[in-house]
This record gives sequence, structure tokens and C-alpha cells, in this order.
Amino acid sequence: MTTTTAVIDRLRSRIGAEGPPVTAVVEAGHVRRFAEAIGDSNPRWTREAPPTFLVALAPVSLHLAEAEEYGHGWLNGGNRFEYFAPVMVGDEITATGRIADVYEKSGSTGTLLFIVFDTGYVNQRGELVARLRGTTIRR
Amino acid sequence: MSIRVGEELPDLVKNPTTRQLVQYAGAQGDFYEIHYDQAYAQRVALPGVILHGLLKAAFLGQLVTDWLGDRGTLKTFDVSYRGVDMPGHPYRCRGRVTSVEGYDVELEVWGEDEAGKRTTVGTATARLRD
Repeated sequence: MTTTTAVIDRLRSRIGAEGPPVTAVVEAGHVRRFAEAIGDSNPRWTREAPPTFLVALAPVSLHLAEAEEYGHGWLNGGNRFEYFAPVMVGDEITATGRIADVYEKSGSTGTLLFIVFDTGYVNQRGELVARLRGTTIRR
Repeated sequence: MSIRVGEELPDLVKNPTTRQLVQYAGAQGDFYEIHYDQAYAQRVALPGVILHGLLKAAFLGQLVTDWLGDRGTLKTFDVSYRGVDMPGHPYRCRGRVTSVEGYDVELEVWGEDEAGKRTTVGTATARLRD
């Protein structure tokens, strides 16, 4: 289908391009609300962010408006986190994301569009604290 | 207590509700309607509202951090979503040690629905303290 190919070509042309960096402070109240929402009452999360908190701090695997011409819904395919240093309450984290890959695959219910995002998270001391690879699917 | 290959992590059973999905949507900042709007979810060919993949990841993260405690540091955490899960049904998080080499430990982790189907599968690695 011509439209589909055009969407994929447009997205593919953006592979490697970095999005604008997003900076946010790890607020105690936000970490607490996040821990409550996931139902994890570990007192450690009053000082430190739980393993998946970074996705809430600076969401960068955005739902690309231009990909919405493909299919009718989004699904999360997977998330891979790498940790290099703890993320503590009070830290100021800058997240920078980029599209790492875009490809189409046939599934049991038709073709799916996969968009892979890479995000790096750097703290106020310039230390890379974590990297995240997220695979988002249009179906 | 030393960690051995084959050791199973204590199960963590979650009982997510639509209310929790709304709470999580707010805490994460993901307001995609399929997680709280029944009619919307059905319009996009889902059986109903479904759990956020990242909420299931957070459950599995808790499984690992509860087990690891202060014995070590999480180094990698990788999850793939293989099926949808709906609120109102228990979600069982499980894991097992697959490798121990020196201070490095590898785990397989997964989340099961009521039927025992693994709808989320993943791995985690940790580095133990001295």
C-alpha cells in the first residue's frame, strides 16, 4: 500500500536523529506516587527511584503522530534498561532520545510497524545513569 | 546466604484494578485511552482496557528488587510483552536464577496470567556486593 510505505519511509528518514533533551528533577512526591501506583511499598523508594521510574520522569518514547497513519492502535513491545548508577531523589536527570530503528513485520493478525527508541539518562554530575531501549508497535 | 542456579524467587502476586491503571497512568504520564476507557479499547480491537506494559515491567522490577534487597545492584532489566492482561485478574510474577559467575547473577523473570500463560517475559542481571 503506497500510504503505508510513505509513512515507513518518512519515519525511517528520522533514524538516528536525536530529539530535544528533556530535563527533570527526581521529586520525592513523584517517586512516592509512582511507587504507590505500582503497589511497591519498599521504604528504599523514599530515597531512590525504583527500576522503571525513569519512564515517568522524562517520557521520550513518544507516540509519533505521523506513525498514526499506520494501523489503528499502539502496543508496547518491550523495554530494556541498563543501569550504571542509582537515581536518587533530588537528582536532576536529562533524557535524550532518538529513533534507533523502524521496520515492518508480519504477525498473526496482519502487518505490524515496529519503532525502536533509545534514550540516555544523564544526571546533574554528567554521569550516564541509565539507558533505555523501547520497542513500540503500531497495529 | 549464597545464590545458586535454579533458585526460584518468591512469587509476587498483583491484583491490578482499573483504578490502579488510572493511578499508574497519572504517575507515569501515559494517558493512552486503552488503559482506562473501555469503549475506546474495544474500538481498537482489544478485549477491554489492558494493563500498561510498563506497569507489568514495574511489577517484575519489584519481584527482583524484593528478592535482591541490598545484596547487590541491578545492572540490566529487559522485558518483552507477549500478551495483553486485563484488570480484575491476578497477575503472578515469577523468576529463577539462571547463572551465577563470581559476583554476576542472571535471572529469568516472567509474568503469568490466571491460566499460567507467560504474557511478559524478561531477564535481569545483578552485580553482588563484596
